[in-house]
Amino acid sequence: MIRRLGIVLLFGSMAPLVLAQSQFVLVKSTLSYHMSHPIHHVDGTSTGAKGKGTCGGAKCDFLIAAPVNSFKSGDSNRDLHMIEAVRGAQYPMVVVRTTLPNPIPADGTIYADLEVQFAGQDVHYSHVAFQKSTSGKQIQITGTVPATCSDFKIDPPSFLTVAIKNEIPVSVTMTWQPQ
Amino acid sequence: MRNLLFSRLIPSLFLISAPFAVAAQNVAMVSLPDAPEAQQQQTTPQPNSSSSQQTQPAHPPDLSDLGFSPQQTKADPQLQARLDKRTHMLKVHQRLGLITLAPMAAALFTGGMAKGEDREGQTFHAPSDANLDFHAALGGLTAAMYFTTAWYAIDAPRIAGTHHRGPIRFHEALAFIHGPGMIATPILGIMAYRQEQNGERVHGAASAHGAVAGITVAAYAASMLAVSWPPKFLHRH
Repeated sequence: MIRRLGIVLLFGSMAPLVLAQSQFVLVKSTLSYHMSHPIHHVDGTSTGAKGKGTCGGAKCDFLIAAPVNSFKSGDSNRDLHMIEAVRGAQYPMVVVRTTLPNPIPADGTIYADLEVQFAGQDVHYSHVAFQKSTSGKQIQITGTVPATCSDFKIDPPSFLTVAIKNEIPVSVTMTWQPQ
Repeated sequence: MRNLLFSRLIPSLFLISAPFAVAAQNVAMVSLPDAPEAQQQQTTPQPNSSSSQQTQPAHPPDLSDLGFSPQQTKADPQLQARLDKRTHMLKVHQRLGLITLAPMAAALFTGGMAKGEDREGQTFHAPSDANLDFHAALGGLTAAMYFTTAWYAIDAPRIAGTHHRGPIRFHEALAFIHGPGMIATPILGIMAYRQEQNGERVHGAASAHGAVAGITVAAYAASMLAVSWPPKFLHRH
């Protein structure tokens, strides 16, 4: 009995090492929306996102945010029109929150539930697939958020009187590092 | 002694099992179909009986933790209103610009019919009044619609701090060709019209009417292509 108690106490003493609270910071990111129109395709990319992850207990909470006006498509007129269409002056940030288990799952495909605040709407995306890979201390996450205009009550902008497609998938490439 | 051991051990076992229950919920939320079984087990927190602090989740990060400036995160309803007005005016600009293309093309097409026949060795034949009037009317309509279209772009609110880049610069630069062209073409057209009405051959600056009109239409069409650049077939995704 005393041996069993000893094992329990041993595991108990190791637990703080495994579950120690840790933080992650987003060191590099590329967020890119893809817009499709019968005449042309447009990609708008932001490298201005910032993010933080806090692990404690059984979960890690991640927050990623980017200013709406940091998305650049290569055409200033189109970018201004995008900001107008998504009410980017009224709601200047796109904010994504997600929770992962602690410790973070191993490399490979991970699935996450996302809470996205954008264009004045809160939208939940469940079971979004991301690819995770580790390089030294850094963690790379890539994936695509299957966003649509209708999710965020955005009137699809039109060009030459033809509206863009409803789907505006957002490709995500992020590099996280423990803080 | 035995009772004491049980009384200490059993609550400890409950403390151990609690994180497993939390972990089970997490595994249901985040599944790893491609990950090996052993890795999936890593999502299970280790038993914790010694520290209640470790089982409590850390405070989730807040937007204020990320270091964005208040200017970046603050809503600006006035800017939104300016953007709304700008978009509205540019949409009208775009629509009117498309519609203007119709009388412009028709004026270019009827230009040939409004031209007097002036072959070498033959007597000059002035165009019919109907052809001339029809062409002049189309030209007048084109000019009126063109300047209305231009006004919607000129009067659209400017957004401070915006650096123009991309195809829109080409679109705007071409206005310096088709803009003066749309002023010169009707003036030269009126001069040519008067000369032909007098039974004269079109001469002097008026003889450049057709060429100026052609350059103007070409620049206008290029300007429309510029805003739809790059076309879909050239897009590298």
